[in-house]
Amino acid sequence: MTVVHFTTAGTFMLSITGLALHRTHLVSALLCIEGMMLALFSALAVSYQTPIHTNTSLQPIIMLALAACGAGAGLSLLVASTRTHASDHLHNLSLLKC
Amino acid sequence: MSPLIWSLLITSLATSTIITMSSHHWLLAWVGLELNTLSILPVIIKSHHPRATEAATKYFLIQAAAAALILLASTLNAWQTGHWSIMHTSAHTTTIITLAILLKLGIAPMHGWYPEVLQGSTMNTALIISTWQKLAPLTLLYLINNNPPTNILLLMGVISALAGGWIGLNQTQTRKIMAFSSIAHMGWLIITLNLSLHLTTTTMMIYMITTTAMFMSLNTTTTKTMTDMGMAWTQSPPLTTMMMITLMSLGGLPPLTGFTPKWLILNNLCHMNLLFPTIILAMASLPSLFFYIRLAYFTTLTTPPNTTNTHHKWRFKPPLIAGLTPATSLAALLLPLMPMMIS
Repeated sequence: MTVVHFTTAGTFMLSITGLALHRTHLVSALLCIEGMMLALFSALAVSYQTPIHTNTSLQPIIMLALAACGAGAGLSLLVASTRTHASDHLHNLSLLKC
Repeated sequence: MSPLIWSLLITSLATSTIITMSSHHWLLAWVGLELNTLSILPVIIKSHHPRATEAATKYFLIQAAAAALILLASTLNAWQTGHWSIMHTSAHTTTIITLAILLKLGIAPMHGWYPEVLQGSTMNTALIISTWQKLAPLTLLYLINNNPPTNILLLMGVISALAGGWIGLNQTQTRKIMAFSSIAHMGWLIITLNLSLHLTTTTMMIYMITTTAMFMSLNTTTTKTMTDMGMAWTQSPPLTTMMMITLMSLGGLPPLTGFTPKWLILNNLCHMNLLFPTIILAMASLPSLFFYIRLAYFTTLTTPPNTTNTHHKWRFKPPLIAGLTPATSLAALLLPLMPMMIS
């Protein structure tokens, strides 16, 4: 495992740990998801850009486009839930508890 | 919402599942899953209620994280093996991807989001989430099935069947009861991935038919809680009888459709000499059956005291949905077709 692999996988793991364990604000959850997406983007962008595999150079762009769409959806959900729940604290999202 | 945007969303919802189903490349499968999430979100949030917003937020967080985990595992797989094909994934990758897909499906240790999302959305959206949205992750589970993580699938299936029955006993709202029933059925479903893929297809189809029939009946009678079920007979007495039969079919009682997957799965498990999971699964269907019978009791088998004028609600024509009759008939009468399903 090279440094690139270790860094990207480590970034992803840190981000998903943050998403799972640090549950205070919705913004931080969205930022953790963006961290995961950026780690995946750099993994795709760094490790396959050799002159031999030119057909894989489109992959990071496609991935980044959809990650940006997901980020937009997440931010609009942030706005919507802030308007309905008065803040972005995750413990306010408790209307549907069993 | 404008009809143009609505039709665009529904088309995108259908297309993204088909993209995932027909993909050979992991990135394309991920694109399909992500588009699927993005196109169901406006459908959930369409009624601008705080509950709908909350359900959409929870759904988005779970699905986005699970899809990212799938893409990470496939990237690791591409580092190891050098190709992106879904069919050729190594064992470790298959384990991570299976866990992420089980999170997407709402299997028991990761099931916390699923009843809340169903409770926060409307009845039709809950129907879409519990049937159509299961197809894309399940297809991925099909495609990576050349070396499945057998123990994980078996363990999580048994846990899911147990948890779906036990936690569902405590619920009074019909959408949450349907959510836990769906969790229990998903447990049975992922156990079949160890047995044979034909059996998985049969189980999935019967699950979709019975769940569709039940959600359509609940939608027609506008039943949100268990106390509403006591009023259902005043609207359409034949429909409540069919609801009782559909509930028995969901519970898996013998002359009805829902018995088919249970029979075949238990039979196959016995043939593979897995007696302990077989016994636990057979026992785990009893709590589910208990809350189905409780629903049926409130629906048909008792008439709670009402004021006089509510008894004549059947004079108003109930808004019958077009697919209700075929769905309930299929949910009741498919058991004789079983030899054709398994051959």
